[in-house]
Amino acid sequence: MLGGCSRELPPEAEGRVVIDYWEKWTGFEAEAMQAVVDDFNASQDRIYVRYLPVSQIDRKLLLAIAGGNPPDVAGMWSYAVAAYSENNALTPLDTYVAEAGIVEEDYYPIFWELGLHRGHLWALPSTPATNALHWNKKLFRDAGLDPDKPPRSLAELEAMNEKLLLRDANGRIIRLGHNPQEPGWWNASWVAWFGGEPWTPEDGMLADSPQMREAFAWFESYPERFGGHDLQQLRNSFGNFASPQNPFFTGRVAMTLQGPWLYNFIKDYAPEDFEWGVAPFPSLDPERWPGVTIAESDQLVIPAGAKHPEEAFEFIRYVQQQGPMEKLCLGQKKFSPLVEVSDAFYAEHPNPYIKVFADLAASPNAARTSPITIWNEYRNEMTNAVDTVFLGDATAEDLLPPLQKNMVEAYDRAQERWERVAEQREEEWRQDVEE
Amino acid sequence: MSFVRPLTLWQKAIIYTLLLLGVAAFLTPFLWMVSTALKPLRETMSFPPKWIPSEWQWGNFHRAMIEMGPFWRYLGNTLIICFLSVAGTVMSSALAAYGFARIRWRGRDTVFLIVLATMMIPFPVIMVPIYTLFRELSWTGTFRPLWVPCFLAGAFNVFLLRQFFMTIPQELSEAARIDGCSEWGIFWRVVLPLSRPALLVVALFQFMFSWNDFLGPLIYLTDQQDYTLALGLQSFQSKSGGTSWNLLMAASTLIAVPVIVLFFFTQKSFVEGIATTGSKG
Amino acid sequence: MSRSDWIRLRNGLLFISPWILGFVVLNLYPLLSSFAYSFTDYSVLSDPVYVGTDNYERLLKDGLFWQSLYNTFFFAAFSIPASLAVSLIFAVLLNFELPGRSIFRTIYFLPSLLPLVCLGVLWQWLLNGDIGLINAALDPFFDTFNRIFGTSVRPPNWLADPAFTKPALILTTVWTAGNAVVIFLAGLQDVPRSLYEAAEIDGANFFQKLLHVTLPMISPVIYFNGIMALIGSFQVFALPFIITGGSDGPGRSLMFTATYIYRRAFEYWDMGYACAIGLVLFLFVLVLTLLAHFISQRYTYYQGE
Repeated sequence: MLGGCSRELPPEAEGRVVIDYWEKWTGFEAEAMQAVVDDFNASQDRIYVRYLPVSQIDRKLLLAIAGGNPPDVAGMWSYAVAAYSENNALTPLDTYVAEAGIVEEDYYPIFWELGLHRGHLWALPSTPATNALHWNKKLFRDAGLDPDKPPRSLAELEAMNEKLLLRDANGRIIRLGHNPQEPGWWNASWVAWFGGEPWTPEDGMLADSPQMREAFAWFESYPERFGGHDLQQLRNSFGNFASPQNPFFTGRVAMTLQGPWLYNFIKDYAPEDFEWGVAPFPSLDPERWPGVTIAESDQLVIPAGAKHPEEAFEFIRYVQQQGPMEKLCLGQKKFSPLVEVSDAFYAEHPNPYIKVFADLAASPNAARTSPITIWNEYRNEMTNAVDTVFLGDATAEDLLPPLQKNMVEAYDRAQERWERVAEQREEEWRQDVEE
Repeated sequence: MSFVRPLTLWQKAIIYTLLLLGVAAFLTPFLWMVSTALKPLRETMSFPPKWIPSEWQWGNFHRAMIEMGPFWRYLGNTLIICFLSVAGTVMSSALAAYGFARIRWRGRDTVFLIVLATMMIPFPVIMVPIYTLFRELSWTGTFRPLWVPCFLAGAFNVFLLRQFFMTIPQELSEAARIDGCSEWGIFWRVVLPLSRPALLVVALFQFMFSWNDFLGPLIYLTDQQDYTLALGLQSFQSKSGGTSWNLLMAASTLIAVPVIVLFFFTQKSFVEGIATTGSKG
Repeated sequence: MSRSDWIRLRNGLLFISPWILGFVVLNLYPLLSSFAYSFTDYSVLSDPVYVGTDNYERLLKDGLFWQSLYNTFFFAAFSIPASLAVSLIFAVLLNFELPGRSIFRTIYFLPSLLPLVCLGVLWQWLLNGDIGLINAALDPFFDTFNRIFGTSVRPPNWLADPAFTKPALILTTVWTAGNAVVIFLAGLQDVPRSLYEAAEIDGANFFQKLLHVTLPMISPVIYFNGIMALIGSFQVFALPFIITGGSDGPGRSLMFTATYIYRRAFEYWDMGYACAIGLVLFLFVLVLTLLAHFISQRYTYYQGE
């Protein structure tokens, strides 16, 4: 049971500043954070942190901040930092961080960067993630492939894909090596494996770049090679992600792009004799772009209008220390965002491949979701375009030019919105920082 | 229809056949929920489903109650909110519905169209102003945003009761008026007793709504000790840790069963009660 | 106005006073706010900025908005009659005085009593094109058909094929029409027995009694369920959201205007525009409801009028 927090505060909270902390986790992930919170509460006698598990935290947080009633600390997703900070919903952490002696060099660069926007720091990581190729060793063996040799380039992956392909007597696909749509969570980010970015500060939106065209050529090859209808039928037989019918566990798909959390699901749902490995997902040209991954992070922020920002930061700072951070990340079975890691951490970690994810975070080709306020809209548009291509209903040629046009319009509107308030914001943030 | 002439055997057979066909469709979700609640995690979500667990996990119910948080506390909170909401809804919407159904005042039918119109406003666009309003009143973090509005006659219930009030013959009101009843007296002594089925329907719907409401408690409650059962259900869903389907369904069963029992008994009284007393027609 | 007019006006307003208060505070004020926001660029988190009629001009050119409106109209056009007819039929069946009818009623109401999260997961399976129960039930019919006509048609991929997602959604909507059934059941109790007796003496059969006694007598309730179905179907949001797992369905076939408003308001930080769309939707529904209201006035019979 999650440690209680109540209006009748526990006796040890008496006379302390009470910090409200909203977090999205439940289950064992919540327990891991609660343990860290308990340690913090026991480590000093000035501040008491109350942990509140909140589902649909984005919506609740949005309303609470808009209504002027936010918590002191909140757990957020990294992709939301741009939109929240630009809309003045967060407190800049620059001064706090400087005073606490927390520096960029403590972290893998990508996780520090995820907290930055418009020249200020808004968030520090709690538990990070990267994604990587997971493959089923048994199926590799069945198909006559070396079970310990994952593909090193996209071309190799596709060659294996053909070898792993299995159809039944009626011609229905019953096994596929890889399908970019399974699970399809990063459909808007595949361009990273083709050396491109959805957005750059100089060029703005790049939804129809040459790299994007290459990515789409890859998508288009799927219905061409395997048949759009057959692929759809295969997808139909996939069960729920969190179930033994997860197609990766049932052997319907031999390779999948996933994060470190997949370990938890394998433990709960995969067959006892499931053999798997983890390696970087190969890019189009591994010589030029080795170690491509999408890095994301759960982050801690102080919402604008929080009643006790100083004390809130005390807590965030506590979590950023190596000891508590490792306790948290081990409890959640993730890797630590800090560069400094104890040997015990990896020794105790139940996921045998956790180091692969951590190494990917250090890769120069670790990409992030673009820090733009229209990210959600971009992601939905791009996902829809990818789905349409897989249905075989349209090609990149039909889809990408209008998509790019829409995104440029949306981006320009967002830029306009920013420029209207930029000076005022910069001024406010400078003052916040100087205080 | 409660037809007067008794049904022949053939008619009965046809009706039963039709009803049984429906049962298959309507019972499936419930059976699946209960069977999932009794399974070990590994057997959940296997499709096509195994209806019978390999081992009956009765302990899931207890585990679900523990993992949800303070279950009995949540139950208490939920009951408080339900009770206040139902009381407020029945009282206020009966009053307002009477005003729209039984008194002819100038402009009444136009105002009634406004009642209908209020239901057409898409909720997302008024969510922020309403939240801000409760925040200004310092009501966020309390139960008040969840039940006080029920005392202000929601359009759905007013509309529903109005429809029923309007079917009560006008002569009954006239007779009471001649006997010296005030408007209030007619409302209280004539219309309300005759509308028991409709009032029960309104009460039942409001109870179910408050019992299952997730969005309201999510937005307004800021202390875990104040959470409701529907909000507690969320403790089983997690983005990266996996959903404990069996516990989720066990908790769902625990939450659904009281409402099912309540429905079973109320539907008897609002459908059969009135027919046997024959108070109308 | 005469004195009695005044008294009636006063009494009427007194009785509806709880509603008036609720209307002003919980409807009128938020509606006016969102009307004001619709002329601004507003991200919810920072102050709104006046942009004139920009949002309305944007809306005219926004393909997604029109697609969502088409989806919404399509859904409404089929789901309203379907759920009305089905719930009325169930109510009539459940109203026969037969042993065990309380249990039947409860079973028919079950899908409306279960937490949505259970139903969402279950539907995804039931409607699955490959391993779903619905297609398993349809298979024999298709097989017979194929044998007779030498064709090779298969049951649809309900949730994967853009042409079948909306029919699938209509099916699930009918499934949860329990509330309408209950309201019909309560309405059926108000039909005086004497009318049935009179009809039977005249030699009326089942369908004649249904058509000439039951339907006119419960017309106020039909009107209620009809209007509620109209309003509800234009705001359809939760069901498609759950069935698709929060997406818009294949080819955006389940993107409804209410879903689009939600995305604009809370995912895209575009509350000003969301308000503009919301108001346009509001006007559409208002016009349709008024139309339905005035047409049905002619066919609705109130004993108390």
